[in-house]
Amino acid sequence: MALTVLTRLAGLAAAAAMFCGSALAQTYQANLGPMPLDAATNKNMLGRGEATASWDGKMLTVNGRFAGLPSPATKAHLFVSPYIGVPGGESFDLTVAPADNGTLSGQFALNAKQAAAFRTGRLYVQIDSQKAPTGNLWGWLLPQHFDAPPDVPQQAPWFLPQLDTPSR
Amino acid sequence: MPLHSLKLGAGLATAITLLAMDSAVPQVPGPFTAAQATAGHAAYLENCASCHNRTLQGGGEAPRLIGNAFISSWGQRGANELYGVIKASMPLGNGNSLTPETYQQIVAFLFQANGATPGAAAFTGESQAKISSFATGKTPAGLLDAPVAAAPAQRRRAPVTQMGLVVTGTVKNYTPVTDEMLTHPSENDWLMHRGNYQAWDFSRLKQINTSNAGSLQLRWVYAMDEGGRQQFNPLVHDGTMFLSNNRTNTVQAVDAKTGELIWENRIGPVVDNLENATRTMALYGNLLFYGATSATVHALDAKTGKEVWKTVISTYKNDKVGGMTVIHGKLLVGLTRCDDQSVQDHCWIAAYDTQTGKQIWKTLTIADKGTPGGDSWGNLTNDQRAGADAWITGSYDPELNLTYWGTGQAKPSRRDERGTDGDALFSNTTLALNPDTGKLQWYYQNAPGESLDLDEVYERVLVDHGDQKVVLEVGKTGILWKLDRTNGKFLDLAQTVFQNVWVKFDKKTGRPTYRDDIIHQKPGVALASCPSPEGGHDWPATSYDQPDDLFLIPLSQTCAMYGAGSQLFYEMPGSNGNLGRISAYEAKTLKPVWTFQQRSPFLTSIISTAGGVGFVGDFDRVFRAFDVKTGKTLWDTRLGTGVQGFPITYSVDGEQFVAVTTGLQGGSPVQKPATMLQEVHRSQTGQAVYVFALPKQH
Repeated sequence: MALTVLTRLAGLAAAAAMFCGSALAQTYQANLGPMPLDAATNKNMLGRGEATASWDGKMLTVNGRFAGLPSPATKAHLFVSPYIGVPGGESFDLTVAPADNGTLSGQFALNAKQAAAFRTGRLYVQIDSQKAPTGNLWGWLLPQHFDAPPDVPQQAPWFLPQLDTPSR
Repeated sequence: MPLHSLKLGAGLATAITLLAMDSAVPQVPGPFTAAQATAGHAAYLENCASCHNRTLQGGGEAPRLIGNAFISSWGQRGANELYGVIKASMPLGNGNSLTPETYQQIVAFLFQANGATPGAAAFTGESQAKISSFATGKTPAGLLDAPVAAAPAQRRRAPVTQMGLVVTGTVKNYTPVTDEMLTHPSENDWLMHRGNYQAWDFSRLKQINTSNAGSLQLRWVYAMDEGGRQQFNPLVHDGTMFLSNNRTNTVQAVDAKTGELIWENRIGPVVDNLENATRTMALYGNLLFYGATSATVHALDAKTGKEVWKTVISTYKNDKVGGMTVIHGKLLVGLTRCDDQSVQDHCWIAAYDTQTGKQIWKTLTIADKGTPGGDSWGNLTNDQRAGADAWITGSYDPELNLTYWGTGQAKPSRRDERGTDGDALFSNTTLALNPDTGKLQWYYQNAPGESLDLDEVYERVLVDHGDQKVVLEVGKTGILWKLDRTNGKFLDLAQTVFQNVWVKFDKKTGRPTYRDDIIHQKPGVALASCPSPEGGHDWPATSYDQPDDLFLIPLSQTCAMYGAGSQLFYEMPGSNGNLGRISAYEAKTLKPVWTFQQRSPFLTSIISTAGGVGFVGDFDRVFRAFDVKTGKTLWDTRLGTGVQGFPITYSVDGEQFVAVTTGLQGGSPVQKPATMLQEVHRSQTGQAVYVFALPKQH
């Protein structure tokens, strides 16, 4: 991948705690990948990115970076989605560099409903670009967790986002 | 940033919400000529109809290209967009393989078939006119029945030699396959799909182990016909390997130690399209059974390749042979590609006399009106009930004398198209049948009323823990189901990949509850589906490593915006762009043990061995040996094209071999990644069987 995957946490003990989806987790992470595409649009949706979001109980601070867009970024948003992986409608504007590679940022006061969406992994970051004006990259902000690098086995437990599936 | 920057609308949801259109829109001429449409009709039949049907009704994973389904998906998009998608991706796996003119003609035909009137200007692929501005979805009377001149050949086809038994020879030292052999298969053989009746994909061989797997070497390779859907599981008995390819419907016997061809029967027909996958054959007595793409089962003399009998199992349109196994001298066959809403096209599982090919029993997988489960389709007539294909071979418990089969989704896949929100029995169901009579002993519907092409058809793996007899299965949602196989009672489940289709499960019954927007879906509105129809799990089968009680699962991590006639793909949240995953679970507790992710998805089943070594292949041509206890890679190599099919291991003269096929056209598990993995380049030829072993002792 063009960028290193998100910040790693050392130690499986920490990963285990996060796997349980602790409501106290304050820092979330997103890996930004291409928006929904097909064979006709995939060439306009290249690139990768990453973002983090920190919540202090009042303000949510979002920072991120991206690289490899086929065309300069035009807008960036923080969306509220009904479920993880389902596109949303309500959004905040993020500040984004108008370039193929760059950074994004934003700071927001969240109401209780929005804060609940953050805690349950239902916020996602989206970057639009000139060739993909309705979305080039996106990624859901999920509780910070450890992922073994690609090609390296990871012993249990590992992170899987949950809806209301019975957890074990 | 101040809170007033909060805004509504204008997001992806709007962009991909494809509005249904009124079919009574006033007509203006479409951006194509009548000559283009006529030529496009022929080109469509040549290049597209095998998947999308002559009547454009779709089938299997191929979407419907006509009527409301088409207009609701494409009506608000430009003509150039449809052209772009088709040109870039069709024929499936061979995008850009036709001339631009041919693609333009095919698109012109699609417009005409959806009620558009030809105009004066030729379609060049650039018109941005909204399709709903000139097409209604209503097909002109008689258009699809009109005689069509043959299209000129557009693609280079692999040479086809003469047909029939073109290489003659006799397999030496072949012993007839008995019920006892099938019940207790020798570790030297690979007698059936997935190795044993329990569907373990496990071998007791241990010459190749975690200490020496790193020295594996290629021993021989045999090139196979190009084309067809290569997802094949070779069989081995007494040192002879049996292979098949379903483009030419060719069956071969090869010396499993040396790769020397013994006999070859080019049965035919030769098909220049993707048709259906032929995943396996079956052995019994002196006979080898092969399901040709003509929906015909051929019984060949395994020693000579000569045909002994053949039986056409269905004459209905596009029906195909699905799963296949032999129990008590009966050849059990599942029917698949039952795509039409017609009572004549209901899928089934049937048994045939292995000596004569005569049908003994047949059990429908669709519940008709007035039969048990018949009310689960609401008010739909029997002619409106479709799907529940039996395309994966069932497993068998000799002690309980029950065979376990899964079924696919109801059709059309989406509830709004299907016309009922009922459970649609016996789609996406585990069926326990008496193999002697076909009587349904019990059933458990894993995915009632499923709506996103998320099959639960896959292998039912039989595992014992003391007195507890369970059946394990993973469907496309990635839920690992555990049932009591004596009675079908739900025991437990585990989530193996992220899924957002089901929001909760009944803890006693396992019955899932769908997301609200899936329950209340509207025509033309694409639905987010994680996993995508590629499945968290698909046909690349699981392995049960019995000594370690580990259940090893090849998994995929893609999602889709799933419309009636189009799909858009994206990476699964939390996957970090890793489309492929293998996860190991303790079978008794369903607790996770280890996982392994990579960018490319895995396209073979997993096999495990008593040597502690597992094998798996992937989209990016890598064939890998790994430690089944930890997932650590012990050895890998890159082959000619995607490593696709069902690896096996066997022994000849005391030497252990591992065989795997390369292939193309793996259905959804290939189509979705091929669209997403733009950095991976694979040859569009290279189908072969590769055989590996430890270095020779000279």
